[in-house]
Amino acid sequence: MLSPIPSFHLEKHEKRLTFPLKLFWRKLRGITCFSIDLKCISCHSVSLAVFGRAVHAMARVSDEFCFDPIDRGLALRSVNSSRSAYAYVFFSSMFFQHYCSTAAPQPCQKEKQLSLACKLIIKSVLPIFRCVNVLERHVEKCNIYTDDKDHHITFQLLCRNGIVKTHNLAFQECDPLQAVFAKHMCPNVLRAHSRLLADIMVHFPTSQEEVTLSVTPTRVCFKSYTEEDTDFTKTMVTEIQLSPDEFDYFQVGVDSEVTFCLRELRGLLAFSEATSVPVSIHFDMPGKPVAFSIEDTVLEASFILATLSDIRSEMASQEPACFSQMQERLA
Amino acid sequence: MRFRAKIVDLACLNHFSRVINTIAKLAKSCTLRLTVSKLYFILSDRVANGGVSMWCELCQGNFFDEYQMEGVAVDHNEIYLELVPENLSRALKTAQSAKAVKIKLTNKHSPCLRVAVELPSLSSSSRIVTHDIPVKVIPRRLWNDFREPSVPDFDVSIYLPALKTMKSIVERMKNISNCIVIEANLSGEMNLKIETDVVSVTTHFKDLGNPPWASEDGCQSSAQDRDLQSMAEARIDIKKLQQLLVGQQVNPTKALCNIVSKRIVHFVLLHEDVSLQYFIPALA
Repeated sequence: MLSPIPSFHLEKHEKRLTFPLKLFWRKLRGITCFSIDLKCISCHSVSLAVFGRAVHAMARVSDEFCFDPIDRGLALRSVNSSRSAYAYVFFSSMFFQHYCSTAAPQPCQKEKQLSLACKLIIKSVLPIFRCVNVLERHVEKCNIYTDDKDHHITFQLLCRNGIVKTHNLAFQECDPLQAVFAKHMCPNVLRAHSRLLADIMVHFPTSQEEVTLSVTPTRVCFKSYTEEDTDFTKTMVTEIQLSPDEFDYFQVGVDSEVTFCLRELRGLLAFSEATSVPVSIHFDMPGKPVAFSIEDTVLEASFILATLSDIRSEMASQEPACFSQMQERLA
Repeated sequence: MRFRAKIVDLACLNHFSRVINTIAKLAKSCTLRLTVSKLYFILSDRVANGGVSMWCELCQGNFFDEYQMEGVAVDHNEIYLELVPENLSRALKTAQSAKAVKIKLTNKHSPCLRVAVELPSLSSSSRIVTHDIPVKVIPRRLWNDFREPSVPDFDVSIYLPALKTMKSIVERMKNISNCIVIEANLSGEMNLKIETDVVSVTTHFKDLGNPPWASEDGCQSSAQDRDLQSMAEARIDIKKLQQLLVGQQVNPTKALCNIVSKRIVHFVLLHEDVSLQYFIPALA
């Protein structure tokens, strides 16, 4: 369940405030800034394209996302309106050509330090990264920084031929939400290159909302979700059967059938194809969330989706992943 | 009632997919008639279809490596199914690298055509993608609704200009007007005309040629005595014409149209192993 009351856990932490964005801290004035340079070298660097794809993936989940710079890197988070999908992408500082997230220490800070980040509307950010392929070819460098004077983030694209495009976006302070989901406790783990998953999902129509993943130790099957009162005279049903050896890693501890929303997942698949990092799927019994994640040395991403529970009820009850205030980065 | 078919050859699969894509662009829902030697995609001229009708005929031997059909009864060895061709098109779209495609009529929750695509995979066993396409079995008493339309007693028959050219012209005309006039004469001339309050646009084609039609009983058809320059014309819904042209993915071997003045235009597109007839009624 979503814990609605912001709880300030920072006293428990040994570390200093990890969110130095005092800019957004209403009570104190301070010099705060963060600046990130994403350098895009058109010949071989795909970092801008990868970043753009991360924004696109966020867009599949929600209309707004949380832009959350911490000292180790930049986290992007979003949650959909029904709290049934949570997306998290983390770029370590090494992903960027230059990453600096600093805050001037304030002498008189006594009050609780809110761990705040910027909430941006996807509609404002997406146009900047609209055509990712075009981005790669035309943009040489992308600078992202805040202005300490007003609540704006600036995305500055330095393009070929001396063209500079500057986008100033207003943000709202937000409390970043984080899903609590113990991936390592899941009995079922599959890992495959995103190409395999994309090749599977292509067989479903783009309008297909929910998909069921069904596993036994010897069989894997993805099929369009149907329920007892599905009108089979009108619905086309698609099913893909694969053998476990198509996966890089295949562990099935418990036979299970989980149903999740395909729409949100497609964002992650497109993103992971851009990064060429294999996708891991962690899941359990129906009703418990399923996590699709990728991880490499400079970035990681997790999409945690609620699954339909087994209870035969009119309204498919969804158990959302637990959310809590930002404490630590995702386990 | 039984139907099972299999395509193994990629070129045949490709060809079949293209035919289905064309049908899907012409009709939201249509009738599939299966006989021992042929498949037919039929759209009958009901009001619901806007008076448009379609008859598409394929020889099963040109597409399928295996084909078994048992009709509803021994003396009526045929099956009539109503389906949404777009579903079939979608099922075949991602089968382009398939090892085999099997189509079978089944009845799990309700009658459907099961398209099973066997795809190559990274492992030793293939990937199998199954699509269950819902169909409705049409009872024998309704089969009369789907008889082959006869060639109308036309005033002019003429070969069509290059479909690609026609398509780009009609597409542009569509932006200006909802209806288009097709007129042609027996001297191989055809005009496509649109007219609004402010503008009228005509595209002239010539030297198209008129196909020779032998009349069965030897007597003169209404076309014979006709003045060679006199135009037969029909005003039709431009969107329907555009739908027909947009759906053509391959250039037909022969493309012609028969115009019954102010009544109907009958398009005939012939490929090596597929024939498509499309009727567009004239607007009042």
